[in-house]
Amino acid sequence: MRDRRMRIPALACVGMMWLIAPAQAQQSAPTASNPGRDLVASKCFQCHTDAMFRDGRQDRRGWEATIYRMVGRGGLWTPEEIKLMADYLGEALGPDAKPALPAK
Amino acid sequence: MRELVAKYLSKGISRRGFVSGLTKAGLTVTAAQSVLSSVSSVATAQGPAPAPSVPPVPAAPTAAAGGAIKSFQGTGGAAFAEQLIASGVKYVFGNSASEDAEFYEALVDRPQLQYILTPHEGPGAAMAAGYIKASQQPAIVMQAGAVGMVNAIGQIFNAFKEQTPLVVYSYRTDQSRRAGRDGFEEIPNQEQVVQPITKYSWMAHRADMIPETVRRAFKAAWTPPYGPAYIDWHADYTAERVRADIIAQDQLDPRMRVRPDPDDVARAAKLLVEARLPLMIVGDEVYKAKAAAKAIRLAELVGMPVTQFRQLWANFPEGHPLWVGNVPGGTLASLAYPRNPDVVLNVGNKLQHNGPAPIVPRGPKFIDMRIDFNSIGNVIATEVPIVADVGYGLDDLIAAVEGLLTPALRQKAAERSAEVRKFSLQARALRAQIVNGPDWDSTPMIADRVTWEVAHFADPDAIIVHEAGSHTINGFDFNPLGGRELFFYYGGHLGSGVGTAAGVKLARPNQQVIALVGDGSFIFGPTALWNMARLELPVITVIYNNHAYGGPHSRVINNVPGGRMVETGHFVHDYLGNPDMDMVAIAKGFGVDGETVHNPGEMRAALARARAHTVEGKPYLLDVQVARKGIGWAAKPWIPPIQVASLRTKKV
Repeated sequence: MRDRRMRIPALACVGMMWLIAPAQAQQSAPTASNPGRDLVASKCFQCHTDAMFRDGRQDRRGWEATIYRMVGRGGLWTPEEIKLMADYLGEALGPDAKPALPAK
Repeated sequence: MRELVAKYLSKGISRRGFVSGLTKAGLTVTAAQSVLSSVSSVATAQGPAPAPSVPPVPAAPTAAAGGAIKSFQGTGGAAFAEQLIASGVKYVFGNSASEDAEFYEALVDRPQLQYILTPHEGPGAAMAAGYIKASQQPAIVMQAGAVGMVNAIGQIFNAFKEQTPLVVYSYRTDQSRRAGRDGFEEIPNQEQVVQPITKYSWMAHRADMIPETVRRAFKAAWTPPYGPAYIDWHADYTAERVRADIIAQDQLDPRMRVRPDPDDVARAAKLLVEARLPLMIVGDEVYKAKAAAKAIRLAELVGMPVTQFRQLWANFPEGHPLWVGNVPGGTLASLAYPRNPDVVLNVGNKLQHNGPAPIVPRGPKFIDMRIDFNSIGNVIATEVPIVADVGYGLDDLIAAVEGLLTPALRQKAAERSAEVRKFSLQARALRAQIVNGPDWDSTPMIADRVTWEVAHFADPDAIIVHEAGSHTINGFDFNPLGGRELFFYYGGHLGSGVGTAAGVKLARPNQQVIALVGDGSFIFGPTALWNMARLELPVITVIYNNHAYGGPHSRVINNVPGGRMVETGHFVHDYLGNPDMDMVAIAKGFGVDGETVHNPGEMRAALARARAHTVEGKPYLLDVQVARKGIGWAAKPWIPPIQVASLRTKKV
């Protein structure tokens, strides 16, 4: 656990600010409105990048644990919101999802 | 009498006039003549260097001006010690420096000045800073020449960023008559090495100027906004015989407290009472001014939610219904509530920007009240800048707001308070659900579980020294008004946590002190454990040991998303295992007992054993094994394949 450069730690932000639109751009067809995705988009955009999400591909339980770690960093979500976000992320960004695009 | 002395020294009155003034003030003629004799030496102190006629043995100081000014004759080292005492210093934190022999000699008969030997300059400086922060009393750090100074630079940097009045001295290993010959450990312009990270850096140009140089360092460090000062002098000055004046620090140190401009206060008050949704940010100047109760009073008067951007201390009670939590991200936009304040009042927060976006976004009217005039208005558009001691500033702002509040405005404030209370209650409930996470009972533990256990264990007035890397701690309900206190960091030079905790315990021996450190942080500065053992400073040190630099791991991935590191799992910079460091063995090597904690079930009993040790005056260390969490961690992380064994051709 090291924080020598004192940039704001990426995982110390309110929530996971993945940019979902670029993630979806890789899918073959547009997706209908999804409450879990909308929550992630609305709650998490200030701090995290979409690439971090896609590099963090994991199953639903892993995502749920990640969201709870964000609660420890100040994230304020109801149990229902956490469930919806974990459901969405486990499905859209599970272990077999496409990885993040390499940085340009 | 002080004014008389000043007048006499500035040649504003004659010797006869000075004596006459003293007798009018109540002194006998004999006493007045004695004072005249002592004070006269002040005028000569700035003259040519003392002649060899000065007695070789230190003479007892003679008092003048009610003891505020003393004429001293003796070695430069003894004059140094005398001035430290006169400057209010009780503890000297030092590492062995052979050229300071005459200073050590002077300490033998000056028990009021205690020397604490620290086995490394970095943690030693952190210990001094911890003591200063917890006691609000002066202290000094000293090391051996440039080589010792460079070890302390990391903590000087922290003191600079965190505005801690740390005074640092080291001799110049060169002597005055053979300087500039590239001698042993000699570097040119030694004091300039730390110039960018100190408020004041200076070399005493003559031996008899040592006391004056020391006084100026303390004055610079302790004049708000606080910061570190560095002084040095040629090594031979410490042994030289001098005649110099020792002056009590309060005779020349203004300890400046600035009252705000009334017009600025009036403008700020008007903005606050007319605001739709004002927000207050608090910062460390509130703690330093002991003004938390005033901040609460203003917040309650206006019905104003309160938050804090990263600081050393928790400056507002976290259990107060108007507290909406720390700013979790880089700007106010990351706050869950309020989302759209129209007026933002900052009271004493340095607002250190770590990104391009201003912490207070464009839009809300911004009132910035601080004594740190240097940084007001540098980044954030500021409607009302107020330079003031925040204690006085809050007094005046409260009075001005009270003068403007009509019954209708009071009703509006009450309604707003009710809204904020509703949010803060809900937020408290949502934070508490952290225990429902799927990894809560996992082995190894998640860091949040460790924090939760410590938060439920800590005394109601415990001091938590937090250097646990990028881990955010919650659940302590910090309260600067007699509750648990936080000593955090934002300087960023790691290795300060253990030393800080030792210094805090030295200053506050009757409060429980718990140091929370990451394994990476800990290993930068464990030597202060030895000070805990020797001085019987019963600190509980809890290491979140994930055998990794967790913060840099995540940030590197953020900087190079989708890269080869993530694809291959080849991270060269972050894994500290294989072999795992045994922190308990390290602690025992320094004379501190401890144990390794492997799972949640062991945690409470381990903390109980820690408490039992501290009750007996012994420090204790818990090496808590925590999980590596985040993207890209393998169960067995890859390590670079550097194997010297294949290069060895001889079994030596």
